[in-house]
Amino acid sequence: MQNLAQIFFVMWRETVEAMLVVGILHAWLLHHASGKAGIRYLWLGVLMGLGGALLLGLGIEALSTVLSDEGQEIFQSVLQFAAAALIVQMVFWMRRNARNLKKDMEFTLGQRAQEKNWWGVASLAAIAVAREGGETVVFLSSLATGSNSLASPTFWIALGLGVVLAALTFYALQLGGKLISWRLFFKATETMLLMLACALLIGAVERMIGIQIVPALVNQLWDSSALLEDSSVFGGVVSAFTGYRARPSLTILLVFSAYWAGVRWKLLRSR
Amino acid sequence: MVSMNFSRIVSVLLGSLLLTAIAPAKAGEDIPSFRLECNNGVFKPQKLVVPAAQKFRIDLFNTGTEAIEFESLQLRKEKALNPGGNSFVVIYPLDPGEYKFFDDFHIKVGQGTLVAK
Repeated sequence: MQNLAQIFFVMWRETVEAMLVVGILHAWLLHHASGKAGIRYLWLGVLMGLGGALLLGLGIEALSTVLSDEGQEIFQSVLQFAAAALIVQMVFWMRRNARNLKKDMEFTLGQRAQEKNWWGVASLAAIAVAREGGETVVFLSSLATGSNSLASPTFWIALGLGVVLAALTFYALQLGGKLISWRLFFKATETMLLMLACALLIGAVERMIGIQIVPALVNQLWDSSALLEDSSVFGGVVSAFTGYRARPSLTILLVFSAYWAGVRWKLLRSR
Repeated sequence: MVSMNFSRIVSVLLGSLLLTAIAPAKAGEDIPSFRLECNNGVFKPQKLVVPAAQKFRIDLFNTGTEAIEFESLQLRKEKALNPGGNSFVVIYPLDPGEYKFFDDFHIKVGQGTLVAK
């Protein structure tokens, strides 16, 4: 039974990132009266993303047999960099377009301009779902082996529970968007997305350090594992969602600081 | 504008694929290797001693009935293994010290330490 909880937990962790992206976009579209038309595009994007996830997941499996160890690390790293860039882009896209949606789009902007925005929403959702979904497909296919194979009920129960929990996360976000003040909700979810992008960036840089393409400069600046151990259950979640490292290298600290300095500057500029 | 970035991302991915195809396969290199087994989360040995300041390889074996994922944030490696499967990770020269690793699929029981000296 312990392993059931483990599968369910890892499954939730893998899907919740995509759920955050889709859920926040959904709440954001609902909040702006003229945004409702875009929701169809959002779900279209999700569908495309699911298809893309399957392709990507199978592709990664195929690539892992063809590429060298280094090659696989580089590939995964590039995907993480791209995902981080995409999420940051999404945050600033939402900030910019919030203003456009406030005016009555049907009168001030033409049909074409409206559609362009909606395709932006669709592709954001599609790419986010495809990337995280691809990881989930790989994870599930590697997990569905041995005593947890596709034939065992454990796997399907865990899969089902994981999907349910991801859906609950989605609905929690929608509820939050309606119950809490919008400004507070948007600020909180915006911060969540930016932290997630940071975590992805940190992960990608660490892979590069791991294959010595990027130097660590100083290997371990400090050890804060007494405060929070990043290889524990809770610590692992924190580090996956924020980029926290108990034993950061100098390069990681520099990347982390540069990221937040850059983001803060851009946030102030886009006011 | 998002679609512009999408095509940029796709071309970066394709470019990196080309790069990785060129990246030499280092599997046959003559470096010390160490065996690490994982049985449904339980590592054997739980404390792996390796030489510091030297590149080495860890040969991973899943001797259990469930998939495992060898992961270490400090060593910057993660590798999923099906039951009965085996693979390896190459670790670049380490400073002397202790480095934690764990099984991400059995995180409670699956904890181990790599000691470089």
